Amino acid sequence: MSVEATTLAAFGVMIALMLIGIPVAVVMMAVGVGGGLLLYGPSFLQSAAAVVWSVLNDSLLTGIPLFVLLGELLLRSGMADRMYVALAAWLSRIPGGLLHTNIGCCALFAATSGSSVATAATVGTVALPALSARKYPIRESLGSLAAGGTLGILIPPSVNMIVYGSLTQNSIGKLFMAGVIPGLLLTFCFMGYIFAASLWRGERRQESVPPLADRLRLLIHLVPPLAIFGIIMGSIYLGIATATESAALGVVAALLLAWLSGRLSLALLRKCFVQSAKISGMVLLIIVSAFVLNLLVSLSGVAGHLTKWVTSFGLSSVEMLLLLIAFYLLLGMFMDAMSMLVATVPITYTLVTAMGVDPIWYGIFIILMCEMALISPPVGMNLFVVQGVRPDKGGIDDVAWGVLPYLVIMILFTCLLMVFPGLATWLPQTV
Amino acid sequence: MARIERILADLFGFVFLLLSFFVAVEAIARKLFNVSLQGADELGGYALAVGSTLSFTLAVIGRNHIRVDVLHELLPHRVQALLNWLSSVMLAGLAILIVTICLAVVNDSIAYKSTAPTPWATPLIWPQSIWYAGMIGFAVCAVGYAVRATLLFASGRIATLNDMFQPKSTKEELRDELADFAERNRASKGSAS
Repeated sequence: MSVEATTLAAFGVMIALMLIGIPVAVVMMAVGVGGGLLLYGPSFLQSAAAVVWSVLNDSLLTGIPLFVLLGELLLRSGMADRMYVALAAWLSRIPGGLLHTNIGCCALFAATSGSSVATAATVGTVALPALSARKYPIRESLGSLAAGGTLGILIPPSVNMIVYGSLTQNSIGKLFMAGVIPGLLLTFCFMGYIFAASLWRGERRQESVPPLADRLRLLIHLVPPLAIFGIIMGSIYLGIATATESAALGVVAALLLAWLSGRLSLALLRKCFVQSAKISGMVLLIIVSAFVLNLLVSLSGVAGHLTKWVTSFGLSSVEMLLLLIAFYLLLGMFMDAMSMLVATVPITYTLVTAMGVDPIWYGIFIILMCEMALISPPVGMNLFVVQGVRPDKGGIDDVAWGVLPYLVIMILFTCLLMVFPGLATWLPQTV
Repeated sequence: MARIERILADLFGFVFLLLSFFVAVEAIARKLFNVSLQGADELGGYALAVGSTLSFTLAVIGRNHIRVDVLHELLPHRVQALLNWLSSVMLAGLAILIVTICLAVVNDSIAYKSTAPTPWATPLIWPQSIWYAGMIGFAVCAVGYAVRATLLFASGRIATLNDMFQPKSTKEELRDELADFAERNRASKGSAS
């Protein structure tokens, strides 16, 4: 069997094992170690062991537990809960009303937290009763929440970006920078769609807002998330801190804010510790396995073989990226975003960078693919989360239909990014 | 188990809070006084090494290690049980594999008296021995769960097995989040009144 066929077969087996529900980390480690033993014998194990230690001793990845802990602190201390009221006071006058608040709140939440379950659960629980009381169409409401929840991994800080950066040895600071403009732009695209759809339906739904003095007073609830975001991105942009150090600064600031709000307690800290340890554990074990698999990929040179094979078809980089969009859309229907990222990036990264695609730009592309995976039916995670918080008893197809326009927007947005790569690559170059 | 979970989580949190304070002080000192304590990076690496092993163990206890559950719920209960058992045993296998192969890393550090290539020149065996102990803890925990799954599977208690070892669903995660949200709400109403 040719190298290409063996690789594709191994990849197929790996995805199949994941789909029947064997733990993702176990599958990748098994394929990595199994392949390594077959090709290189027991000496592969020694190299694998060195990889395990070096990954778990890599201060770049220390950012993962720190950012997760930061998000937990902001969430559990209740700082994020109060944002909705404040944003609703400012945004709901735009045609489309409270739907804008959903997107805005998700985006702001995203800037401090990485958990889309927590984002959708918190924003959804506050928003849905208000939305249904004001008789907003249910599909639009659910769609805006599920789609808004995906912004979290594009707007930095983002654990997915750290994983991409460490797998491909790209600067995490630069990736964070690269996510800012696309993140904001996609947020505006979502809001623009709500605005346009609202006008097109001719319902011009606007909410009355409280007087200016009240609105100004409510702004205080936006200070904590914006301050944390400012500290993280500011310290990276000004070169004061690396991405990992900025996470540590964020944790200290979050502790301070929680203490100022009178919510800091041992019980709160303990809850944050348990949650962040569990989330970090599941991400880090997958990363360890991915790196062992990566070792096999680079030793055996399969990525190079595949690249030669694929380029022999004479595809341009644009055609390649369009193919990848289709590939990731398909994969994303069945796999969760993080598993999809670690299982595919070692191969696809080599492929597209060999064709001259910018590594940082491709990071943003991959994150967009992950976002789509979160909301593409039948198993996008955000669909289930939003379905789980809705107060009425409709079927999940409401969420799937509601989210469809956003999925189309994301695909178009990815194409826009292909036409104007500078949207992602400009800001990191200014550092 | 709840107690072990709490102790491990406390340790995990302690490690990363300590690291955060150290890094924050270091960054401020570097910027304002141009003094570098150095070693923030190095310390970060060790914190990750130790913290990660704790987190692996906690993720075993909490069933957090990611499993794709798209097909799982559609399968007959017996097949679900088989897959749950297999997953548990394979996870233990992974932990044992890591512990076995990483012994060489620790042994090398002892044999060559390796030190970190940093200003601190930390003897690597210090952080590595704690890390390795943590890995053993992870393996012991994973094996314990695998033995339990095996006993349940062998004695045909499929319902209990599926209950204890099924992939953590989004539904469950959401239920926890909603409970926590309700609690936060109560707390904020309580403090406001």
